[in-house]
Amino acid sequence: MQMNDSQRIPASKEKVWAALNDPEVLKKCIPGCQSLEMSSPTEMTATVVFKVGPVKATFGGKVTLSDLDPPNSYRISGEGSGGVAGFAKGGASVGLEAESSDITILHYAVDAQIGGKLAQLGGRLIDSTAKKLAGEFFTSFAAVVGGSAGAAAADAGSKSWISKLTGT
Amino acid sequence: MNDMTPTREQREAKLEGMGCKRKRVEDIRFTQGRGNYVDDVKLPGMLHGDFVRSPHAHARVKSINSEEALKVPGVLAVITAETLKTVNLAWMPTLAGDVQMVLADGKVLFQNQEVAFVVATDRYAADDGINKVVVEYEALPPLMDPFKAMDPDAPVLREDLAGKTSGAHGPRKHHNHIFEWVVGDKDLTDAAFRNAEVSIKEMISYHRTHPSPLETCQCVCSFDKIKGELSIWGTFQAPHVIRTVVALIAKIPEHKIHVIAPDIGGGFGNKVGAYPGYICAAVASIVTGKPVKWVEDRIENLTATSFARDYHMTTEIAATKEGKVTGLRVHVLADHGAFDACADPSKWPAGFFNIVTGSYDFPTAHLSVDGVYTNKAPGGVAYRCSFRVTEAAYCIERGMDILAQKLGMDPAELRLKNFIKAEQFPYHSALGWEYDSGDYHTAMRKMMEAVDYAGLRKEQVEKRAAFKRGETREIMGLGVSFFTEIVGAGPSKNCDILGIAMFDSCEIRMHPTGAGIARVGSKSQGQGHETTWAQIIATEIGIPADDIMVEEGNTDTAPYGLGTYGSRSTPVAGAAIAMAARKIKAKAQMIAAYKLEVHEGDLEWDIDGFRVKGLPEKSMSMKDICWAAYNSVAPGMEPGLEAVSYYDPPNMTYPFGAYICVMNIDVDTGVYKVRRFYALDDCGTRINPMIIEGQVHGGLTEAFAIAMGQEIRYDDEGNVVTGSFMDFFIPTAVETPHWETDFTVTPSPHHPIGAKGVGESPNVGGVPAFSNAVNDAFSFLGSTHIQMPHDFWRNWRAAKNLGVFAA
Repeated sequence: MQMNDSQRIPASKEKVWAALNDPEVLKKCIPGCQSLEMSSPTEMTATVVFKVGPVKATFGGKVTLSDLDPPNSYRISGEGSGGVAGFAKGGASVGLEAESSDITILHYAVDAQIGGKLAQLGGRLIDSTAKKLAGEFFTSFAAVVGGSAGAAAADAGSKSWISKLTGT
Repeated sequence: MNDMTPTREQREAKLEGMGCKRKRVEDIRFTQGRGNYVDDVKLPGMLHGDFVRSPHAHARVKSINSEEALKVPGVLAVITAETLKTVNLAWMPTLAGDVQMVLADGKVLFQNQEVAFVVATDRYAADDGINKVVVEYEALPPLMDPFKAMDPDAPVLREDLAGKTSGAHGPRKHHNHIFEWVVGDKDLTDAAFRNAEVSIKEMISYHRTHPSPLETCQCVCSFDKIKGELSIWGTFQAPHVIRTVVALIAKIPEHKIHVIAPDIGGGFGNKVGAYPGYICAAVASIVTGKPVKWVEDRIENLTATSFARDYHMTTEIAATKEGKVTGLRVHVLADHGAFDACADPSKWPAGFFNIVTGSYDFPTAHLSVDGVYTNKAPGGVAYRCSFRVTEAAYCIERGMDILAQKLGMDPAELRLKNFIKAEQFPYHSALGWEYDSGDYHTAMRKMMEAVDYAGLRKEQVEKRAAFKRGETREIMGLGVSFFTEIVGAGPSKNCDILGIAMFDSCEIRMHPTGAGIARVGSKSQGQGHETTWAQIIATEIGIPADDIMVEEGNTDTAPYGLGTYGSRSTPVAGAAIAMAARKIKAKAQMIAAYKLEVHEGDLEWDIDGFRVKGLPEKSMSMKDICWAAYNSVAPGMEPGLEAVSYYDPPNMTYPFGAYICVMNIDVDTGVYKVRRFYALDDCGTRINPMIIEGQVHGGLTEAFAIAMGQEIRYDDEGNVVTGSFMDFFIPTAVETPHWETDFTVTPSPHHPIGAKGVGESPNVGGVPAFSNAVNDAFSFLGSTHIQMPHDFWRNWRAAKNLGVFAA
């Protein structure tokens, strides 16, 4: 599964960068994240509840930051196992572009692989679920980083009611 | 005058013997919810087992930790390969001469492979336990494409076979190679192609699918520690074979193993093999001393117990300009998955695929099959067909259509030109079979007349012209299929399973009042044996079918049989039934002669008893003979009236049929409409025409499913992406077309009642009819061959690739 998109965030590039490296922010924004702990500046362990179609499972795994080029870009990748539900691995290359001093465009390219029951049952739902989760992440992220202006911007800029219904 | 003596017609009708549309006796219990299936077996103290399965297609198993699972209330044991090693059962033999892991031993080789078996007081607790078993995997690159299996750098799948340069069927060419099977005359065939005026070559794939019976595979194992006896209730198409396999691998004396196959909700080949669930349930029962039940769920059935097909057939036909075939050359790449668990007679690694010359008089042919391992589920069972016969029929029937297209000849005409002629039977095929009987021209012409073939072709020409003028977006296809099956495995000279010849058996015991019981070595999974077997006996010995009880599936009472699959029941067990009945009749004649005080030779058979030749009023009914058998047999004769027959067939039987599918396809949506489907079957003598019709309807529906969408598909990572009925196509009444059935009768000359078997013919002949219809529809747009399955999306894509959307 691959997905490329961008998000407009009402905050400075430096502020966005700092937030992208802040486990507390990430924990708040990753949908279903129950814990996220830093074991080194570039490594974290996470527990995330993930739901695709009829399968819901708690994934335990490692999150790694690499290719760091502050404050411009990094790659965040993870690998986790959900026991009988299967496994997931993947990552995102994230790049920041300053549109103005207080507006940043965040570009992301996500690639992910899933296996096990998740893939068997949820296969047809993976793409729409991934887009939905990414949407949720950036809505929260914009809200946390940009404050209320960010929340409004992310909401207005993201989706029509019909695409929310269809998950596309 | 008030003569109540029944007429001959009334006596005959009362028997409900062969040829009668007798209603199925088993349906009385099935339609009232009173069937008795494995899951209905509930024993006191029974435990439930369920599997931890691998999410990976290919991985090393680093560790299995059951500690937390054992803390779950109700969980009693977690069995792993290490546990099984203590009883030497971590691996089991397959029917194809390979070995298969019962539970993952160091590695997993396909997604959903069995890794650990959790035993608990109920199914829910077992499921909770499964969630707590922690398995650490190290993922390895999966090998999903059979065409890459023998690449030099392909990953090694079967480490247990390292260094083994030969397997059960000869030399291995590569670490992922299983066998090579070669038949036919290579030099002669190569020469035919060198001299050919016309030839075709096409890679024709028959995709991976699954028999998917509605009742999944399941068993209950109960070990009695005091008696040292193991009882197994299971969904077994071949219960005696299971008993022997258990005796061989578990080292329990065979007389202390009781295998019972109760009512079975469909088999279609899925329930022939031995699966890890059976072994684990048996071991768990031996360990705990309690009965253990194992029941597959739907995903497990579709993804772990044996699949069907996955044959990739490079097909070449040589012919003259006039359309006379001169040679056939086929190479098959056979994807068997992680273990070779093909359910074929032991000496036949590719089953009877050498029936691939079909209904045509090929002077020469050459066939080679390479079996390979991939990271897919093991198997290769005969899904509603004799061993690899559907693959062969699809291969040749597509090939003939492709040849017709190249020659610019009508596909029906090409077939008529090349059929084996009625006077050529018994016919020796270029690949080694002796076809017993057939009349192909008559069957084909009857089909063509019944559907007005010429009229349909005329309509197609008009429709194509209209399409080209832009007046319609619908295209029309005619799918002709003429198949010859090879069923009734089989003669002991070339067929065995694990060394046991593939005979079948029947024991008939007549009771004093003229009723009786017949125990048979076959095992119905829905075929209606209780009805049809009694009809054979009724005609043979003149006792009404209603007075004969048929019992199957209990290895303690039934004579040893090789089970029901590959359309072998009527050709083999059906023959044993007739032969046992004839033994009964022979003794009955002696009893009647004694009672009527005449010589045996002075008696003649008359519907339901014997009468004295020339003195029709002096007679004795079979019912009265049964009574006499228990009180007044001739001096020196043993009382009683029973017989056993073990029947070793002298040859296979060769049912055939002519099918046609008329289909319209909307090129803009890919949506097809089956306008008409006509199926003419010749299965020799017809025992129960209503059951035959039902069999044909069922087989055609499965053929429709397979050709038009049903598929086990994997993604590149080895995930099964069609693992539930959301994605795996099972047609309902909504999708299923209307079926027209017809028949001709060409009895088998070597079978006691001339019957050939029919249950699988419609699947064998149906798939090419559907696929040929789709391909025929697209052919005028320049297409030669479109691979199955032909679902809406693929039809739309085919249309797109042919440029029909160009402005």
